[in-house]
Amino acid sequence: MNKVFLGLLLGAILGAIDGLTAWFTPEARAEIAGIVIGSTIKGIIAGILIGVFARKVHSLALGIVFGLGVGLLLAFIVAQMQHGYYFQIMLPGGMVGLIVGYATQRYGRGPKLQQT
Amino acid sequence: MKSLSDRVVARLQADMQIPDLSGTRYNLLRYVACGGMGSVWLAEDTVLKRRVALKVLDLAGPADDLDVRLLSEARILASLEHPGMVPVHDAGTLADGRAFCCMKYVEGQTLAQHIATLNLPDRLRLLERIAEPLDFAHARGFIHRDLKPDNVMIGAFGEVLVMDWGLAKVGVTSLEAGETEIATAVQPTQNSLRVTGQGSVLGTRGYMSPEQARGDIEVDQRTDIFSLGAILTFMLTGSAPGELPAASGSVPRPLRAICEKAMAADPNARYQSARGMTADITHYLNGEPVSAYPEGLLERSGRVFTRHRTAVVLVAVYLTMRVLFILFGRR
Amino acid sequence: MTRHSLVLAAQSNDPATRSRAIEAIAAAYWRPVYKYVRMKWNIAPEDAADFTQEFFSRLLEKEFLDSYESSKGRLRTFLRTCADRLFMNQARDSKRLKRGVGSTHLSLDFMEAEQELATELRSGSPEDSFDKEWVRSIFVLGLARLQASCESRGKLIHFELFERYDLEDDDPKPSYAQLATEFGLATTDVTNYLAFARREFRRCVLDQLREMTTSEEEFRREAQALLGVKVT
Repeated sequence: MNKVFLGLLLGAILGAIDGLTAWFTPEARAEIAGIVIGSTIKGIIAGILIGVFARKVHSLALGIVFGLGVGLLLAFIVAQMQHGYYFQIMLPGGMVGLIVGYATQRYGRGPKLQQT
Repeated sequence: MKSLSDRVVARLQADMQIPDLSGTRYNLLRYVACGGMGSVWLAEDTVLKRRVALKVLDLAGPADDLDVRLLSEARILASLEHPGMVPVHDAGTLADGRAFCCMKYVEGQTLAQHIATLNLPDRLRLLERIAEPLDFAHARGFIHRDLKPDNVMIGAFGEVLVMDWGLAKVGVTSLEAGETEIATAVQPTQNSLRVTGQGSVLGTRGYMSPEQARGDIEVDQRTDIFSLGAILTFMLTGSAPGELPAASGSVPRPLRAICEKAMAADPNARYQSARGMTADITHYLNGEPVSAYPEGLLERSGRVFTRHRTAVVLVAVYLTMRVLFILFGRR
Repeated sequence: MTRHSLVLAAQSNDPATRSRAIEAIAAAYWRPVYKYVRMKWNIAPEDAADFTQEFFSRLLEKEFLDSYESSKGRLRTFLRTCADRLFMNQARDSKRLKRGVGSTHLSLDFMEAEQELATELRSGSPEDSFDKEWVRSIFVLGLARLQASCESRGKLIHFELFERYDLEDDDPKPSYAQLATEFGLATTDVTNYLAFARREFRRCVLDQLREMTTSEEEFRREAQALLGVKVT
């Protein structure tokens, strides 16, 4: 599995989990489908970006930092749209980015070397 | 004739071992050690102006078995060019009738000296490198037959060299007629020497496979696999091979299983190649399952956890955080 | 190819052949036997001398050598065991350790051997001493051969140089330049002559040893012991 696909898959799974936890908030239950879909898409976007970064840059530290940054940024955008719950949204979002950043650096197949 | 003092006798004994290099291109520098079939001397190649090692038999003799063996070693080494095998430069007979072989002089440490400061993963990687020239030789039909820690050197540049191919044979062949010589393990002193005498088996006790110890007609590369397993045992326990101590908790079970498989009494039960054995070692180093060791579910889980420890911890932290948010987030 | 062996000759039925062979064997073994019994059984020098004579007399009479087989062990171990057995038998029978009347008398310098014993550092067991004396004896016999060989080839100076440099117990040893001055030679000649003598000495010693063994395998074993190569 290549790094981009790994990032996509991991981002999707963690994003879906993120969305599903909204079920425990009674006010959000009615819109759970939309939340899950939106969260999953957020995860996929983050995963792809982080996966692409991992293909280009082979550094565990930088991968983690980049993932954390992407996760926080996308989570911030969602929190802005929610007009609140910054901590509850950005912390998990940052963690997802961090995990995907670590995983894409540590696992997944990198690009093939160009033959000269 | 007057009597000789003990000191003079000792000096004469030493003098008698000095090879007569007249008529050769070499100048003797100093004694180095006992080799497999005689003594090893440091000399200078006067033509190429470089230091070389001369392996010289202690005795000469007509149709000498050791002469044949030394020449055989030289030819094997000359035909097998590998970074893990000492290059041979020359071979012949000295003025005093003794056969000699000239090879690269290796300055470095023995295996025992080198591993003293190594951690477990480095020792395992070292064994992989020891197996490389063996695998190379096996692929070309040669068996070493006398693999042991004393025959492994680590050179000045970290190169790993398998030495002393004096007992090497070609492929899965029978021992030649009359080749039933015992080699007894020797003390690694200056004057020690592996002795061959009629009625025994080739090799070194402790590192010799059972079939080789029995003097079986056919030995193949798996005899070297046994020896490699014995070397691994030595590298793991720091002591001469035998059974791994029953309560050797310091040796991980997968590694113990690798040793036991390599040293199985039945050659068919061993690894069939050096590469097969090193593959298991590589798997162990990578935290992957080892073919010689069937692990239980708990052990497998533990191994997977150990291998992916960071990822598992991160996900656990994330899920824990999620649960905490669920439980306390609305307060 | 017939192997010339003193041991085989000593087992011959021809008395003259046997006698010559025993004398040659005695030349190599009388000192080891003498010093061995002195050390092990702590007997007086006169008794040890008589015992040694008696021992080789019995050897000449084929008493011992008939039962010797090289495949079963080394000659020197065999002879040492025979010496032990003879001593214990004589002691058990309360016989004085005297040689029998009419037995063979070898011309052996026991006084010199006793002087050597007095000056030597006694370390190790009597058995180790026996082996050490055996090496010493073989070397002495080899030197005699070397001297004869050099004389016959007009190379006596080679032997004298070897004797001066390798057989003297000097500390420090003279340099080659000093030897060159002493013998009126060029230094390169000293180097070459000594190399020749050492090479010849080795050959003479190994030839001597070869005569004292009955098989190539025995020769190899004994040669490695002679060379000081330790085997476990």
